[in-house]
Amino acid sequence: MTQTIIEFKNVTKSYEETQVLTGVDLTIEAGKFYTLLGPSGSGKTTILRLIAGFSSATSGDIIFDGKRINDVPANKRRVNTVFQNYALFPNMNVFENVAFGMTLKGVNKAQIKEKVTTMLEMVQLAGYEDRSIDELSGGQQQRVAIARALANDPEVLLLDEPLSALDYKLRKDMQYELRELQQRLGITFIFVTHDQEEALAMSDWIFVMNEGKILQNGTPVDIYDEPINHFVANFIGESNIIDGVMREDYKVMFAGKEFENVDAGMRPNERVEVVLRPEDLDLTTPENGKLIVTIDAQSFRGDYYEISAHDDDNNEWRIQATNPSVLNSRQGLTFDPEDIHIMRFDESEDDFDARLENYEE
Amino acid sequence: MKNRLFYFIPYSLWLILFVGAPIVLMLGESFLSISHHFTLANYQDFLGSGTYLQMTFNSVWYAFLITLITLIVSFPTALFLSNLKYKQFWLLLIILPTWINLLLKTYAFIGLLSKDGSINHFIELLGFAPQQLLFTEASFVLVAAYIEIPFMILPIFNSINEIDRSLINASYDLGATKWQTFRRVILPLSADGIRAGIQAVFIPSLSLFMITRLIGGNRVITLGTAIEEHFLVTQNWGLGSTIGVVLIIAMIITMALTRERKKRGRK
Amino acid sequence: MVEKQSRWANVYLVIMFLILYSPIFYLIFYSFNAGQYMQNFSGFSLVHYGELFADDRMLQIVLNTFVVALLSSLLATIVGTFGALGIFSVRNSFLKNLLLSLNNILLVSPDVIIGASFLIFFTLLGLSLGFGSVLMSHIAFSIPIVVLMVLPKLNEMNSSLIDAAQDLGANSWQVLTRVILPYLTPGIAAGFFMAFTYSLDDFAVTFFVTGNGFSTLAVEIYSRARQGVSLEINALSAMMFLISLALVAGYFFINQHNTTRKSKKGRGRG
Repeated sequence: MTQTIIEFKNVTKSYEETQVLTGVDLTIEAGKFYTLLGPSGSGKTTILRLIAGFSSATSGDIIFDGKRINDVPANKRRVNTVFQNYALFPNMNVFENVAFGMTLKGVNKAQIKEKVTTMLEMVQLAGYEDRSIDELSGGQQQRVAIARALANDPEVLLLDEPLSALDYKLRKDMQYELRELQQRLGITFIFVTHDQEEALAMSDWIFVMNEGKILQNGTPVDIYDEPINHFVANFIGESNIIDGVMREDYKVMFAGKEFENVDAGMRPNERVEVVLRPEDLDLTTPENGKLIVTIDAQSFRGDYYEISAHDDDNNEWRIQATNPSVLNSRQGLTFDPEDIHIMRFDESEDDFDARLENYEE
Repeated sequence: MKNRLFYFIPYSLWLILFVGAPIVLMLGESFLSISHHFTLANYQDFLGSGTYLQMTFNSVWYAFLITLITLIVSFPTALFLSNLKYKQFWLLLIILPTWINLLLKTYAFIGLLSKDGSINHFIELLGFAPQQLLFTEASFVLVAAYIEIPFMILPIFNSINEIDRSLINASYDLGATKWQTFRRVILPLSADGIRAGIQAVFIPSLSLFMITRLIGGNRVITLGTAIEEHFLVTQNWGLGSTIGVVLIIAMIITMALTRERKKRGRK
Repeated sequence: MVEKQSRWANVYLVIMFLILYSPIFYLIFYSFNAGQYMQNFSGFSLVHYGELFADDRMLQIVLNTFVVALLSSLLATIVGTFGALGIFSVRNSFLKNLLLSLNNILLVSPDVIIGASFLIFFTLLGLSLGFGSVLMSHIAFSIPIVVLMVLPKLNEMNSSLIDAAQDLGANSWQVLTRVILPYLTPGIAAGFFMAFTYSLDDFAVTFFVTGNGFSTLAVEIYSRARQGVSLEINALSAMMFLISLALVAGYFFINQHNTTRKSKKGRGRG
């Protein structure tokens, strides 16, 4: 059974004139890995700061474990934060940083020592107790920051873009480690990032945000396969987004042709946007193709070729292919009905869910 | 932060008592006669008598000379220093004399410049008759310039040192000569340092009174000497404060003229 | 990167250093003169140092000077540090700039103005001139420099350090004493140090606000120098020069300590 630990009810936040959160509702369940994903300025860090207690909501309720905590100061909340720049105290060594929260509570020395040792082992920094912060690499500082936050036994760990300062390889490693750590400890992680790959790789549940709103939330697979609108489709993964018309249920027209698909529940002849992921597209001979395209450019990407092409209706197509193609040649383009995803204009997440439920029954 | 008020109590007390009150009091005092009645007589005295206006003019003139000499001597020093290998160390050596009490340095010049002093010995060696050096305007200006040199070098050095080396290389790369690079790149980019240096030298030079007394004798009277005279010798605080107000105005004008220019596209 | 300089540039620098230092060394040189004047060196002698150490009045004044410097810089450091914390906490940029301008008034004001206006102020309060008035004046003109030394440290401090401390359970007092003040220590030390040297160096302000009974070194040297040369002052300046050297070394050490910390951090990030 899952249990709700944090809830936002119509929370808004404004700084003087500008509104950074517009009526956010969200529910966080205990023991899962959540990600707030969005471009900078989307309000994701604001949500984190509201949960941590560094800033207070302009209106709405923030509920933690059934109690409204809007007015509880940060130092009285059972959440801890891993900061973007780690925020390690430069005047203390590794041990003192990790022990900081416990010394404030007046935990006895032996217990502190034991706990610090355990924490440092957990983040693979055993033996680093006496190092000064200056001597650590970025990755090591990151681990100390995680150990320091977890040493306080939080119920929820907040991570504010903690991997953004690390190089690519280290970031990949840390993604696995964080995921593994969360599963082992079983506490709730709320992770903020603007990196969609990171979000897809680590999370149980993703909130996609833009301009102070949550646009869509769901599992990584849901969000990738069924983006609710143009923004989400574009922000998560690469997409071909083409204007089309929904003739009737299970029939969509785009690029001058009619195709069979699996979406329904729209008005007849409703204007829509059609999403096709580059990896779902295949090149074939013109006779076998559902569409005919002309190859414009291609580049080698290691595990695939990225090919760009245009059809006779002058729509741009991005295709990921395992084999190279011939420039300026005419090729067939195929895809399956399930690969076509339809997005309505201005459909809210609730309507979207309702429609999905209706026709999937 | 909730502690804000608590932090501010001692500091704002200081602001009120030692920054606000004294200036207001001095302004008020300048409108008081010796018998503590409101009067404009001090300003009438100051503006009406040629002596005070002449003295103000002299004071500004001396300060101008001191600043000019310091600037001419300091700019090349700052420029050459910035090219040295251990420049921070050499800079420290330039600053070191400022840590020695001003009085001691001035006192050294009493010995150096006296009738029987080393400089006169040197002049005699060259075959000239010994000169009266102490208690002349020239010696006052030179000693004051000596004292102020480090305060001019420091800001100029800092601004030159901040210039990105690649700008200078870019200038050469685009075909500029050494002189053109200096004129068109280094000099404009160090302008803020020069302004700061002028500010740091000109204002104190207006108000020197210790050097005027010890080196200039009674031949040189600056605004500073006049204030000291009225406060501590003749006890005419009203007139002293009036001269003080004039000095404050001169200071504000100097600062307005030398304040850092907004960095905008300059031609 | 360093371009080779022409020989003339270096000659120029050598002459500059000679000019800057010759009066000081001239002064020290004659402190060892067996004669009575700052000319005609007539043989090495420590007689003027003997005079200096036998001069109880002078020693008392040296002591006064250091007591005033120590007390004033200590108190100015406390007030100035709180002031910096206060200014830092102001979010309104107009108010902040106003406070900074007010802070700097005493730094740019000519000494005579500070001295004369303080004299009016103390007289109005009915305060007798002497140790108290000198001490208060020194505290007053040292506070702004402390603020200027502490404020950059505060500005460079990452605000998430404060968030982190609160996040880990620290209350406001604990945030201040355990995180902010330790972080500011180098700035506070530099401020204290500058305040100390400001106080030691001051002549004009003290000259105005000191009464008859109390004197500091600078004021004493002034009144003696007006009466003519006395090589005891040369001996004193030699001693002061040594103290200045020690202070500079101390300041250099503090600075060096700060910068190495910083550069190390830079490397750690790389």
